[in-house]
Amino acid sequence: PPETRAAAPARPRRGPAPVTDVAKLCVCDLLVAQCDVNCCCDPDCSAADFSLFTTCSVPIVTGDSRLCSQKAATYSLDVKANPPKRISKLIDHVNPSVFCIHSTNYKQALSFSPPEMPTAQNFDRLLKQYGSATFSVAPDSWNVNTDAQNPSDANETYRYEYGVPIQTVDAFLRLPSPVVSSWCSDTNPAGFLVNQATKCTRSVSVEKCDNIQAVSMLFYINSSILAVPKSSQMVNITVQSIVVQSLNGTRTLLNDSEVLRLPMILDELCINIVLGVSYHITYTDGGEIIEAAASFVLGAINQAALSIEQSFEISFTQVNTKPVPLSGNPGYVVGLPIRAGFRPRGYPFPVECLLAALVLNTNKYNQLTILQSTSNQDCLAAQGARTPILFGYNMISGCKLRITAAMKCQPLAENLLDLLKGQSFPEYVASFGNSQAQDVLDWVPITHLHASEQKIYPAFQTPCQIPVSLEIEVKWTKYGSLVNPQARIVNVTATVTTTTWKQLPSGRERTIPVTSSVVFTDVSSPAEPGYKAWPTINVKLPFDFFFPFV
Amino acid sequence: LSSVPLQLLFYINGIYYIFYFLATLAMIVYKSQVFSYPDDFLAPDLALLFVMAILEVLRLYLGSKGNLTEEEAPLGLSLVITVGSVLLSVYFLVWQTYVLKADVIINAVLLFTYGLESLLKVTAIAAFV
Repeated sequence: PPETRAAAPARPRRGPAPVTDVAKLCVCDLLVAQCDVNCCCDPDCSAADFSLFTTCSVPIVTGDSRLCSQKAATYSLDVKANPPKRISKLIDHVNPSVFCIHSTNYKQALSFSPPEMPTAQNFDRLLKQYGSATFSVAPDSWNVNTDAQNPSDANETYRYEYGVPIQTVDAFLRLPSPVVSSWCSDTNPAGFLVNQATKCTRSVSVEKCDNIQAVSMLFYINSSILAVPKSSQMVNITVQSIVVQSLNGTRTLLNDSEVLRLPMILDELCINIVLGVSYHITYTDGGEIIEAAASFVLGAINQAALSIEQSFEISFTQVNTKPVPLSGNPGYVVGLPIRAGFRPRGYPFPVECLLAALVLNTNKYNQLTILQSTSNQDCLAAQGARTPILFGYNMISGCKLRITAAMKCQPLAENLLDLLKGQSFPEYVASFGNSQAQDVLDWVPITHLHASEQKIYPAFQTPCQIPVSLEIEVKWTKYGSLVNPQARIVNVTATVTTTTWKQLPSGRERTIPVTSSVVFTDVSSPAEPGYKAWPTINVKLPFDFFFPFV
Repeated sequence: LSSVPLQLLFYINGIYYIFYFLATLAMIVYKSQVFSYPDDFLAPDLALLFVMAILEVLRLYLGSKGNLTEEEAPLGLSLVITVGSVLLSVYFLVWQTYVLKADVIINAVLLFTYGLESLLKVTAIAAFV
């Protein structure tokens, strides 16, 4: 525990003593316990090593050469001897100049002074002397000086812009985050329209839990947010929901979230400790905040707990819109899911499927999905787990199909096709990350191809085929300007490869692999420079130039 | 009778001291540029150099006056001031912050001159008394 360690007396520590003996100094000795090549002063080298050197990289080692007389160690290689030997001599090096230093009475004149070691006593003095903005606790710009404003902008209407810190009545809306180490720092402001999620560690103890501000709900909702910067319109932070997490990790949603739950000590536990806060801010397109809600996760700590991990996040929603996660704006961002949908029967335009909850393939976020490999690798036992296809990431997954004699081809083929494609495979894929359902031309239809493993069929027989592989190839191109190209999907092809069914004799079984894969191909055409139009020379003769002939 | 060698020595001393003063000042400036010479080491060195210059002027004036007027009092005072000058010269020879070889040479010459001068002053005082 840190308290008992502080009781021991602080001993001032010294740095290592400087080496001043020229016979022991070697600048080229870089490898520890190994001989450096062509380094004649290296103590790790033996006579056999010296015989292999060609020259001495460091011929002389001296102290400050401005001294009048000093000891010097010279190293040279006697190449005439066989084998070559190293000669090292300790000589007196004399500086012939009349301005050489005869002696000095100033100790630090010719060498670096060892730095002062910080101890508990001199730490504050050293911090004041050498510390600068890097080591100060709160930055100077934290205290917003409201007097230093131009009186001319008093009539301007302010609004929040992207990245501007959200102001509250006293300072800024805080989103504690780890700085340098994983301990929480409360000075991280939340930026407007910047969705952030942070996790950090806070030190707690059961005895002091009702004194620590940052674990109580009140700390996060007591200051109201200003609707626009520098205004007096305030938006209160409402509590949207409270989830209570017990010591073993189970979470329950509370029915009433009106009551403010403050930390309190109950039977050696401290309950109602804030473990996570999630802010949801609603804004208008004029840059004004109209609503703010916070959802809390409260937990409990016991005597043994010294620190807890808190997680914070903030998200922004525009008023009167339903948030749809975009996969890019406008081009797809690598790592975000591909959006897909299909055209319901009877409608001329493609509309994102509203029955998303029932459709297993385009999962509830309207994404293209692929079969997810499971640990038991049995195709027929797969529970239908699917994973969304992320743009730019080639994926392959699969399972093993055990064919026994009792299986029939046709039902098996249908099962496998469902397994590979999912319950309803989409028909259209969004070409841009932010394509809206109303824009027909922004959606790319999926082309289906069928390939077969055996090319030649016996005449007059259409044997039963079972699908063994689904390969989705997504062709995308770079679209837009050269300095900021946007990824755009131009073509999606789904190829199902089938193989002929061979009825097995009874008692035998066969295992075949079934795979599904996604490949992204860049089909961008090379960039073309766009120049301004050539200036045209518009020369016309005057109307009556050929008078009197015309 | 005034001592001619002593007067000669005073004259040479005066010229040599001007050279010594300028050389030492120039070398202190050189040292402060080339080496690390903090202010609290530079200030005493410069101050003592100027004090030495003042003492030297006083000493040579009194000595010369005493020798020419054949009085032993100014000569005696000059001898006493010589002791101070010797101490300052020893400071510049041994206890300065940076002692260069050139410093050693000019201070040695100055000390030799002081020694010779003191000897001649003592004989002059003995002659005048």
